[in-house]
Amino acid sequence: MSDRSRASDSAISTWFLRLYVLVVFAFVFAPIIASFVFSFNSDRFPTIPLGSFTTKWYETIFADTDVWDAFARSLTVAAITAVISTTIGFCTAYTDFRYRFRGKGFYLGLALLPPTVPLVIMGLAMLALLSRINMSGQVYSIVISHVVLCSPFAMAICRLRLSQMDPSLEAAAWNLGASQWQAMKTVIIPFCKPAIIAALCLTAAVSFDEFAVAWFVSGLNKTIPVMILEILQGNVDPQINAIGSFVFAISISLVVVAQILVMTRDDKGRKS
Amino acid sequence: MNAPVLVEFKDVEKRFGDTVAVEAMDLQIRKGEFLAIMGSSGCGKTTTLRMLAGLEQPSAGQILLDGKRVDTLRPEERDTPLVWQSLALFPFLSVVENVEFGLKMRGVDKVARRERAMDWLGRLDIAEFASRSVDQLSGGQRQRVALARALVTTPEILLLDEPLSALDANLVVRMQGVLSKLQKDLGITFVYVTHSQSEAFAMADRIVVMSNGRVEQIGTPEEIYREPATRFVAEFIGTNNIVSGSVTSVDDRHTTIQGDGVTLTATNGSTALRVGASATAVVSADSVRLNAAPSDAVNQANQIVGTLVSEAFVGSVVTLLLETPAGEFRVQTRQRDLAQINLEHGAKIALSFTPEDVFLLPDTREGG
Repeated sequence: MSDRSRASDSAISTWFLRLYVLVVFAFVFAPIIASFVFSFNSDRFPTIPLGSFTTKWYETIFADTDVWDAFARSLTVAAITAVISTTIGFCTAYTDFRYRFRGKGFYLGLALLPPTVPLVIMGLAMLALLSRINMSGQVYSIVISHVVLCSPFAMAICRLRLSQMDPSLEAAAWNLGASQWQAMKTVIIPFCKPAIIAALCLTAAVSFDEFAVAWFVSGLNKTIPVMILEILQGNVDPQINAIGSFVFAISISLVVVAQILVMTRDDKGRKS
Repeated sequence: MNAPVLVEFKDVEKRFGDTVAVEAMDLQIRKGEFLAIMGSSGCGKTTTLRMLAGLEQPSAGQILLDGKRVDTLRPEERDTPLVWQSLALFPFLSVVENVEFGLKMRGVDKVARRERAMDWLGRLDIAEFASRSVDQLSGGQRQRVALARALVTTPEILLLDEPLSALDANLVVRMQGVLSKLQKDLGITFVYVTHSQSEAFAMADRIVVMSNGRVEQIGTPEEIYREPATRFVAEFIGTNNIVSGSVTSVDDRHTTIQGDGVTLTATNGSTALRVGASATAVVSADSVRLNAAPSDAVNQANQIVGTLVSEAFVGSVVTLLLETPAGEFRVQTRQRDLAQINLEHGAKIALSFTPEDVFLLPDTREGG
């Protein structure tokens, strides 16, 4: 084979690879883009050719107090869930980092278990438990359920960060006169700060998007995803596209922020 | 030399599960001395240091600092700053904030602690980097930050855990100079853990040689070098030649031992040996003289004929390796003393040494 044909061969495979990546991304994002495009389309039904450009659907949802209520509720739940589950996740990760004890494997397994339970089962189980102790159908019921769901994610992120830390860093703080609490405050938490912020964003995003468990336990306190489903069950309404685009924008920003913070891993602590 | 005792280990033992890291340790560290604890990895030297800093609890025994028992205190309750092997600088703090850390934990106010930290950065010639982030510094500069951070509280004792192991050879020599000078200027006690003989010999007033959790010898570098207490110490000092044999004659001045085809006569030392006892003779590589062997040269008392295997030049010093009936012999000499000697591989060379240069050790391995 001549050099030239070999070169053109590799050029072809490079182009094929690029095309393939493009198709995959198109496949993943087409529904979201479609929903976004139709949210500005004047036609009642999502058909092509498109009608004219309109912001009517956005105006409708912004005028709807039910949507605002659900939106505010979702944000509140997401914020509280993020704080609680990040706290729990960080503490669990630190326990793993700091201590060696019997049954640690079991402890870690248990801590990481919730995301492996199918969401429908989790929602049903949560409803069964919470209603038995008269705690279902409240905003805090959603928070409790979401904390269970989100803590493992927060733990995984904090654990990754702690694994990048030079273990002598904490002992160095004690050696320089810091008590356990001072070392936690002045060394461990500052070192883990990017991970903690990332965990807050990610758990908020998971909670904000979560539908199945919230649907079971929320009762009349609908969150945005639950509300979207209820509107859909009633009729096909382009409002959905508007709400969907809006929710997507919020979640994706939270996830992107989290991702950026997790990716800016520096090995400073390990190297120095 | 007889400064008061600052630290005392009394029959200290440390076990991790079934493994004994340090056992039966009795050690006195004097005020103002530079003490090196030397040994290969896993010998218990770092554990000893960590027990002194309170990062490990002894399983038995006591540690006293300035006459007071400290082994029951938490690390933050002792003033025993440590310079870590990894340096353990705080990556999220600037250079000056790193140095201030100890003062901040002791509640020194902001202005005073900044002033003292800057003072130390100045003493270690790194004041210009004060506001930099730690990872913008070179290895040597980070080393100085670690020193400043440990010394800022003006402790009586500074612990150093192989702090130079990550630096390149040139920088190691320079930092040794910095450390020696610092220790003399401050007049405080340095306890320096290392696996490197050259570091220990270059800086320490006294050296503790450890092996398998036990102290093999405590002495000045001169003593460790010339009069190793055990065969382990003799072997650990890589430049020693070691010949095993049994004592054939003892008179009031000399003891003679017979090894594999060689006879060595030594001036009597502090330990008396009996005829027939097995013993180890130690001849340091730099006390051996070389003579081009005439064809009829034979092995006789304190003369061994060897065959040259290899030579290595490091600056003006040459290390020759010779094959002899008593095993490999290492000889260190100055290059200019080799002028009249044939250095072809396989050449016969006669090695000789005076009885004063032969050091005899009773062989404890067979006895006990």
